[in-house]
Amino acid sequence: MKNSISPDRNVQPAVSIPDRVELPLAEVHNMAGGVKLYCLPAPGYGVVRVSFVFRAGSSWQDVPFCASATANNLAEGSSTMTSQQIAETLDYYGSYFDVSIDRDWSVVTFVCLSKFFGQTMGLAREIVLDPIFPEEELRTYCDKSKQTLTINRMKVDFNARELFSRSIYGAAHPYGVSSPAERYDDLTREDVRRFYASHYTAANCFVVMSGDIDESHIRTVGELLAAMPTGDAGERPAFPEPCSISSAEMPFPDAVQSAIRVGRVMFPRSHPDFIGMQVVASVLGGYFGSRLVRNLREERGYTYGAYSAMVNLDRSGYFAAATEVGARFTEDAVAQILVETERLRNEPVPEEELSLVRNIMVGEVLRILDGPFGVADVTIENIQNGFDNTYISSFVEEVRRITPERILELADRYLAPDALTTVVVGPQQM
Amino acid sequence: MIDYSEYRLANGLTVIANRDRLSQLAAVNLLYRVGARNEEPVRTGFAHLFEHLMFRGTERVPDFDMPVQIACGENNAFTNNDYTDYYMTMPKANIETAFWLESDRMTGLDITLSKLEAEKSVVIEEYNQRYLNQPYGDQWLLLRDMAYKVHPYRWPTIGLTPDHIRNASMADVQAFYKRYYRPSNAVLAVSGDIEPERVFELAEKWFGELDGGNVAADEIPSEPVQTEARRCEVTRDVPATQITIAFHMGGRLSADYYTCDVMTDMLAGGTSARLYRRLVKERRLFCSVNSYITGDMDPGLFVLTGQLMPGVDVHTGEEAFWNEMMLLCNEPATDEELQKVRNKFEANMLYGELNVMNKALNLSYYSMLGNLALINGELKMYRQVDAARVSETACRLFRRDESSTLVIYGKDEK
Repeated sequence: MKNSISPDRNVQPAVSIPDRVELPLAEVHNMAGGVKLYCLPAPGYGVVRVSFVFRAGSSWQDVPFCASATANNLAEGSSTMTSQQIAETLDYYGSYFDVSIDRDWSVVTFVCLSKFFGQTMGLAREIVLDPIFPEEELRTYCDKSKQTLTINRMKVDFNARELFSRSIYGAAHPYGVSSPAERYDDLTREDVRRFYASHYTAANCFVVMSGDIDESHIRTVGELLAAMPTGDAGERPAFPEPCSISSAEMPFPDAVQSAIRVGRVMFPRSHPDFIGMQVVASVLGGYFGSRLVRNLREERGYTYGAYSAMVNLDRSGYFAAATEVGARFTEDAVAQILVETERLRNEPVPEEELSLVRNIMVGEVLRILDGPFGVADVTIENIQNGFDNTYISSFVEEVRRITPERILELADRYLAPDALTTVVVGPQQM
Repeated sequence: MIDYSEYRLANGLTVIANRDRLSQLAAVNLLYRVGARNEEPVRTGFAHLFEHLMFRGTERVPDFDMPVQIACGENNAFTNNDYTDYYMTMPKANIETAFWLESDRMTGLDITLSKLEAEKSVVIEEYNQRYLNQPYGDQWLLLRDMAYKVHPYRWPTIGLTPDHIRNASMADVQAFYKRYYRPSNAVLAVSGDIEPERVFELAEKWFGELDGGNVAADEIPSEPVQTEARRCEVTRDVPATQITIAFHMGGRLSADYYTCDVMTDMLAGGTSARLYRRLVKERRLFCSVNSYITGDMDPGLFVLTGQLMPGVDVHTGEEAFWNEMMLLCNEPATDEELQKVRNKFEANMLYGELNVMNKALNLSYYSMLGNLALINGELKMYRQVDAARVSETACRLFRRDESSTLVIYGKDEK
């Protein structure tokens, strides 16, 4: 095996972008109540993960903070177990439980050793099917969350995010609304119970299971789902049209930095231009060394970091560039962000730069997919967006194929300065 | 269960390959057997400073990150008391870029005075931010300095003082590089859907011609047995008074390691554990508690720590800790406690085998320990920990005249 010829150390060994990144298609089982169970078997790992996904994100709530309070209090007690008993029993089996919530979805996930699957699903029944939301736990949760929100609202960055959503969607829009922290005091157990009863139902649910799955696991999940109330998905009324304003600011006299957001309402991932715009956003600010980082950090020293991204929502999507800069640089930083979006509209991206961005984006996909649980996460996202797992190969295919001309055309179409909303939260009045 | 094959180059580089047929991503982990433990007391913080310099480019590759990004990859590194670790992930087809880059910076690092000065300020800034300007940030500086008198675990990875970093000279840096960054002092591990034979071929191709160096193991002074209770009290701008008590325990390969790890879990693994249940929930003495072992290669520390509720005095808090230690010594662990802890270790071990990056790191780490087979053998070691061993170990460890106690008072509390 000994190699007598020295390798050429002066040039990078040949690299290729994987021409296909293929995800296994999930096996779909139609379960009781019409719930679909998606299985991604990965034998040999000795662990199983199950995620129950509900259409129960914050945009579904009528009462402020109700959706997150519901999700975060599911494990706080059932009719037969206290929150302490639930936590201890999960702990005993080495099982792991987690809830995440965004504007559209709530995801309740269990991870366990496959040999303790039955026991863990026993606890899942308490958490998913029988939460009683004890008053004392709910009040503690509300007090803590109110405190956290109050602290967050002392930060320019957090305010910029909220102000940006209000400014591009409108303060009354389900994707734009933000509420005063005091509204946590008004949230009642009845609100939470009502939200739970109407949203945590079979009609609103799908399940993704991955890892060491066998028939008995599928049966166990089936029994749990059979006990889930059917519910009524119903027709959701259309969202109001977004109502954007061109700029907004919030004074923060004592802050050292200003937080800046520039962007606009776009469209959900199902739109044919979404992936292309993801590439545009990556060129602008999707990696360390991107145009925004080079301009604002390396050339001007205004900031530690600057980012831009396309964000996908169930019924919408938006584009945003974000940074925090030293207060006295605020005005020029906003101007420089617009210089960079204009450059994207007027000059084709050099092939070398675009090729680097392509590789970074494909590499990111591979890293997210590392391991069976990564595959499960991506599968959940695909289902939420109405796709199956072939979406990943078409995503990679489109990223690989994209041309400088297409980037130019997309940037020109969507990033015209008068279509962009600028938000500044900081000490300096512009 | 992780499958692996091992291979050693003539120059001493250890290479380990794990074939993961399901992953489209490959991980390359390069571990150097050098950490803060190899530093001299007058030149601490060096291993970590050097890690920063490894990203500053070579004569052939001035920008290290660019080729990684071109290969769809990502990379980073960390330093601790025992070793320095560099890791990369990329699509398996591009794996050769990792070999090219790592073999290049093992010998061709282009260290200039200006790069050294720039990196020094970055590290000093990190020192200030993480160790001086954070609440409780200097606790490890204080605790290590009290618990160790001669062993280099006396200082944390960042170093004893920013002055040591400020004083690092070009000659120091060059000598350090020459001595420790050698094939014979490194372990290369690869996990991904790649034939082990291919991994070994690539290792021969890129690392085979490098001079192995002859890194004699440093003589590390061993810590004498502690014979007096040590105590340090300081006042800082912190929200709650914190009590930390530390004891010496065995090294990473000793039976102590497993027993002590189980004990920390009985004390503080989750809300059903003893300290949380009794001292936080029932007696409301502490607002938070924790117990852990440092897990170092050489004999390390067993630590109990907690932040007091307002109004509770330090003596009451300390005695509550001692009471729990005596219970570990005098009252046998229940089967349920032990079973819970075993379940958790098994789960954590399997959760950690799910991705290629963890596997590559673990393979390098266990090889460095000198017992690669242990990567699949630790569950058995944990299963052997029973109530008798817990009580024997607790009685032996938890002695007042072998304890080091650190109290950090809040400004308004003393």
